[in-house]
Amino acid sequence: MVTKRRAGRPPEAYLPLPPATFHILVALADGELHGYAIMKGVAARSEGTVRLGPGTLYGSLKRLLEARLVEEGGERADPERGDERRRYYRLTPLGLSVVRAEARRLDAMVRAARRKKLIGVRPA
Amino acid sequence: MSAERIYRLLLRAYPPDFRAEYGREMVLVFRDQCRESDVRTVGFWARVLCDVARSAPALRAEAWRARMSDSTRTLEVIMKLAAVLTVLVGLFGVLNAVVEWVAGSKGAIDGRYVIAVVLGGFASVLLLGAGVAILLETRWGRQPARLAPFASLVSMAAAGLLFPWMSIFSQLVGFGLPVALLIALYWPRKPSWGSTP
Repeated sequence: MVTKRRAGRPPEAYLPLPPATFHILVALADGELHGYAIMKGVAARSEGTVRLGPGTLYGSLKRLLEARLVEEGGERADPERGDERRRYYRLTPLGLSVVRAEARRLDAMVRAARRKKLIGVRPA
Repeated sequence: MSAERIYRLLLRAYPPDFRAEYGREMVLVFRDQCRESDVRTVGFWARVLCDVARSAPALRAEAWRARMSDSTRTLEVIMKLAAVLTVLVGLFGVLNAVVEWVAGSKGAIDGRYVIAVVLGGFASVLLLGAGVAILLETRWGRQPARLAPFASLVSMAAAGLLFPWMSIFSQLVGFGLPVALLIALYWPRKPSWGSTP
């Protein structure tokens, strides 16, 4: 769980990230998004294996805002989804560093698993 | 009852502050979900309920922890003010013991008088030490803070025996109040000063 931490901490201090948090940060790496666009992005990227509900999504966003990994980018209507004004969210420079650090960590783990032939080979 | 109305009822599971901040956005997202899913299926509502059951208790617990942290900070401020008061009471007690001793030494001094002044002076020094120790928060300062309530209790008992004319109320105000104050000050609690939640 991401909690508020002291300013000036290295991005590695926030790791490991919960899966939902990592998916949200990866979705926001594309640019400013509103809640439903984040949900759709996460579902599409994970091929439907990760489905965030509104409670999980906004609970995670609240923690990310408190930890200053994400910031609000203002309210405006999404032309594709009607006239209702929606709050947009975007990554902060710290959030970008944290998601990069988590991606590197996961990449190192995957490479280690591959070296041990746990993935990337067909089961006999 | 419409799906949105049911969801608005489910939102009551979340803390009020969270609902005020994100409730409208959550309803908008739910509305989007309803547009793109079949709300008449059990699977849809199972996912909704699962999401609420997973996220609401955690957010409630976080809100409760935040409230507790705020009240701990308020208590710390009250305790600091009480420590300042304790220092003042201690200073006043020490000065009073000196004045009493100077005044008493001009005439004949009996044993009871000496014990009373020494006990009063001793308790006042400990009160002063305890107050300073709590304000400065040093490790060595814990010892006078530990001794002060005991010394105040002894003074209270001695005052009751030596000066039976003193009312219980005076004893409580003069000695009992510092005892209660010091017990409250010394009560173990998690320090929160200077820490980031």
